[in-house]
Amino acid sequence: MTSTRLYSLALLVVLLVAWDLFCRWTGISALVIPAPLAVAEVLWSGLASGYLWPHIWVTSAEMLLGLGLGCAIGFSCGVVLGEVDFLRRLLWPYVIASQVVPKLALGPLFIVWFGFGMTSTVVITALICFFPLLENTLTGLQLIDPRKRDLFRMLGASRWQTLARLKLPSGLPVILAGVRVAVVLALVGAVVGEFIGGREGLGATIIAAQGMMDSTLMFALFFVITFLGIAVYQFTIAVERRLLRHHQKGLAL
Amino acid sequence: MNFLDIAGISYAYGDEASVVDAVDWDIPTGAFHCLVGRSGCGKTTLLKLAAGLLVPSAGRVRIDGRPVDGPRPDVGFVFQAPTLLEWRPVLENVLLPISLRGAVSAEDRARAGELLHLLGIGDLEARYPLELSGGQQSRVAIARALIGGPDLLLMDEPFAALDAMTREELQADLLDLVAARTTTVLFVTHDIAEAVFLADRVAVMEAGAIRARLEVPIARPRAAELRHDARFNALCLDARQAMRAPLAA
Repeated sequence: MTSTRLYSLALLVVLLVAWDLFCRWTGISALVIPAPLAVAEVLWSGLASGYLWPHIWVTSAEMLLGLGLGCAIGFSCGVVLGEVDFLRRLLWPYVIASQVVPKLALGPLFIVWFGFGMTSTVVITALICFFPLLENTLTGLQLIDPRKRDLFRMLGASRWQTLARLKLPSGLPVILAGVRVAVVLALVGAVVGEFIGGREGLGATIIAAQGMMDSTLMFALFFVITFLGIAVYQFTIAVERRLLRHHQKGLAL
Repeated sequence: MNFLDIAGISYAYGDEASVVDAVDWDIPTGAFHCLVGRSGCGKTTLLKLAAGLLVPSAGRVRIDGRPVDGPRPDVGFVFQAPTLLEWRPVLENVLLPISLRGAVSAEDRARAGELLHLLGIGDLEARYPLELSGGQQSRVAIARALIGGPDLLLMDEPFAALDAMTREELQADLLDLVAARTTTVLFVTHDIAEAVFLADRVAVMEAGAIRARLEVPIARPRAAELRHDARFNALCLDARQAMRAPLAA
């Protein structure tokens, strides 16, 4: 372990101790800020009793389904818009405009359409993940070294060959950067989607805990969500490293 | 007989003045011609016109008697930069022209391996482009241009980014390879010594037109010592002076 990592770990300990001392000295109500040990205890009993697992499972499933759906559709639309000039010019103003629309604000509407529960949350998550993929795919396909384009023309490559063997692989770093953004947004989408219309899941449990004024449980859920996010994000980075290992020397992420 | 025949060719980007202005140029089969000039003199554009990558606004290009109306598979092109696909290993980069036309046979693989071997990088075929030095990348690009056994090789300052020693090695290797196959070559460079060393004939280009044509009556094969020969230096001086000559009023 490098010394910087050691310091990072030490900082975590310092922060936890400071949090604990703050709670003890000020005697602040657990309703406002619960002590770290109390949070850990709730977290542990939640995991040990099996109370939290179904919620973790539901949120993970919503997040991954929404992510997969949104990425697949965003990527496909990005490829089509990237390849068909007319469509791109026709739809570009709408793509820009839709970026600005706060997608989460559509949540209540989706509940009207799809009802409470998983479907509407998956749809919100997919919608949020759609845009970074669309935009990055489009950008990635346009950012081709003009010499490589000339090379493929010189070699008489068909349009399909140019797409599959030049544009997609060469745009892959930009496309995967879009996936990374989508992963972070997917978790936000899933949790907030549950705030609005979930019966199960970590977001719905936060709302339930709020109803019971159980701040300790809310803190514990906050940690669970953070760990979930870190796990998926790290996995994405590992996949990205693997796929791009030949694209750049000493790839820095 | 002329393999490459350029007649009265002109090209302008948009409405601007012509970048290439009524150029005539013939290359006999198997000859090695160099085009020298400062950057921006239109030499790369002339090369792209010959390759069919650009369509001339006037004049015509014939390769092997047939008019050029687009890129052709029997023409090899080497770009200013190696322009390799970073995500493919060296051997697959060399085989790219073949694989875009259909299935790659074991014979093709053997030929690619042999070409890499001739270029002195036979042991690097499983590596990826970014693991190679600049000189090795240029060698891969040359192997890729030669894999289809082209009759005409068009080269656009392929060695410009390399250090002097590597450049000399590559020049010698290139001469060996094209001599063994009687490939016709049009080689663009801004380096006068490189042009004189490689070519049977050197054209000096300036402001879109060819200002001078110099024959290089030096026998082949040419050895590295030639670079220090008085005749060689005299030819370089001629070319240099042709470049410095004022534009025709």
